[in-house]
Amino acid sequence: MDNLAKHLLQRLMRRIPASMLQSTLDKWGRLTAEKRKSLDFTQSKLTITQELVALCEESELTVKHITELEMIYVTENPNQGMWHTFQLLDPEDDAHSVELMQFKEQFKSHLSELKRNVSVKIKKHTDEAVWIRVAWGDGLSRPNHLKATYVVHYLQTPYVFVNALSSKNKPLLLQALTLSTKHQQIKAANLSGQKLTALRDLLMRQYQQVFPTKYPSPLPESDQSISKLRIEKVQAEASANRHRMAGETFGDGMLPALQSAFFQLETKFKDPTNEAMTQRDEPFICSVKFSSSNLLESLRHCASSGIASTPVTPLLSSIPLKGRNYFVITNNVPNA
Amino acid sequence: MEGASTRGVLCHLSLLEVQARSRGSQVPQQPSRVKELKAKVEALTSQRDQLKAELQIHKKLQKLRAPVDKRREDGEDEEMDVDSESSELFHLMARHSELTDLLHAHNLIGGYDAITTNGGKGMCFSLATEYEGAYLDTYKLELNLKPKVRISRHNIPPFIPLNSLAEQSDLQTDVRAFLATVSQHLNAFAGRKQQLKLVKEQHKSIEVMESNLLCSILVLMFTVPKDKTPLLCTLEYTDHTRCLPTRVHLNCQDKLVPDSPNWKKNCSLLKEVPVHRALTAIKKASNIV
Repeated sequence: MDNLAKHLLQRLMRRIPASMLQSTLDKWGRLTAEKRKSLDFTQSKLTITQELVALCEESELTVKHITELEMIYVTENPNQGMWHTFQLLDPEDDAHSVELMQFKEQFKSHLSELKRNVSVKIKKHTDEAVWIRVAWGDGLSRPNHLKATYVVHYLQTPYVFVNALSSKNKPLLLQALTLSTKHQQIKAANLSGQKLTALRDLLMRQYQQVFPTKYPSPLPESDQSISKLRIEKVQAEASANRHRMAGETFGDGMLPALQSAFFQLETKFKDPTNEAMTQRDEPFICSVKFSSSNLLESLRHCASSGIASTPVTPLLSSIPLKGRNYFVITNNVPNA
Repeated sequence: MEGASTRGVLCHLSLLEVQARSRGSQVPQQPSRVKELKAKVEALTSQRDQLKAELQIHKKLQKLRAPVDKRREDGEDEEMDVDSESSELFHLMARHSELTDLLHAHNLIGGYDAITTNGGKGMCFSLATEYEGAYLDTYKLELNLKPKVRISRHNIPPFIPLNSLAEQSDLQTDVRAFLATVSQHLNAFAGRKQQLKLVKEQHKSIEVMESNLLCSILVLMFTVPKDKTPLLCTLEYTDHTRCLPTRVHLNCQDKLVPDSPNWKKNCSLLKEVPVHRALTAIKKASNIV
């Protein structure tokens, strides 16, 4: 096992939390059951790593095998790093019949045409997601496995999720993706975040959306205490309306755990008490960032409790409606 | 003990005294009670009148909804004793209630349902999908009507090409054609998805090698019973409005197997019958394990 493989394995072991080590190694399957049993997982991570390196050396495993292990770990734990979304546009007529084998061949061949010395691994996950791992080299150097790019794409959908892509390699990757999925263009979709599952659930509409129905919703249970009854009687209708509008805008139940939204404002300053600023011709540039462990649930709660006015402003409702969390707002066309 | 019962009796007597006194003082309260009851009578009378008026309108509408020929036959037209303006209104109302009932009936037989939203500025369609008599998922699609007809919110997954379907049928003039196509695509997708689910449930000996979100391709691995050779079967559903494959392709190391008359028959069976049932038949004929 060469130094690179050793280094890669050690780096990877630092990334994998102790609780997931055993299951990840089992899924990897490159070590025999006997060898795996010989590892004592109660020891410190450092000791386990040393033992694991020794076992891998015995089995004569190479960089290729270690990258497999990395891919298994990342596929099972995708909510790390920063994922950016891209959208494929202008599908050709046969874009809808692109199947996995075809896509794999085409992607690998297009990418290696565009750049030599890239190492590509493509694997289909059980939920039909196609995972691609690209280690970039160039004409002179070998592929750098320490900084691999990960791409997730569901065939027949227009969305591509990318992690750890340098600006140098971006145009190459995007072109290879566009060609192999038989589209003509690709653009940034303005949706990014740490949790891939949240981005995916938002765009694939895998959450409980609420739509108007012609049947009245069931009556809420009445509270026993009299004083609460009085407050509720007065506030009931307003509160029910707010809840309904909040639900229709953001959805019901568990919402995709989006963690931030970023608004770049380039609008004219408006404050009648501040003449100095209002007199300026140029737009006032400022950025607003919302962060939360679950931004959509926070916004829904703001709307249903009355903190944010209802009907919900398009600035906020655009997040679930358009599936993006980066907006540039100018006076002319608010976030198109 | 005696003291308690005496106390009890005295208490009771004083209670009765208080009651008698209060009953006496109730007499001046009667006029206000009468006023209350009179107000209630008024309210109920006006409600009754309102209901009577609604009943009349309803009766008129029912008459208007009767087929035109029948009306002419019965000579009821002359009985319409209303001026032209409100008769137009009545006609519109009759038409409206007729269409509402038609839409409801359409929904009951499995078609889409629609409601207006946003004060008439939008509509929300409820597209149900079914396969082999069982209701599957229901999808919702909201359209904005003003200023142009545009798709607003929906929960249709992104592998159904909604935007290109909207471009194909002109949304401004022919929303029905658009909805019919979308409903077709959704029902076909639901059917294919359900077939895949049934294959996985009913045929555990067959391995699903490949599928995709749209369920437009299915690669299955069969085992031929004679010598346990694996046989790869690819089903391509290129027509996304149908539940049956357009192409069935077999791959086997033993080149003779796909060309055998049995397997040629099985291939055409797979094109004509839903895959889970075709597989049951093929298994019965002992062509696969």
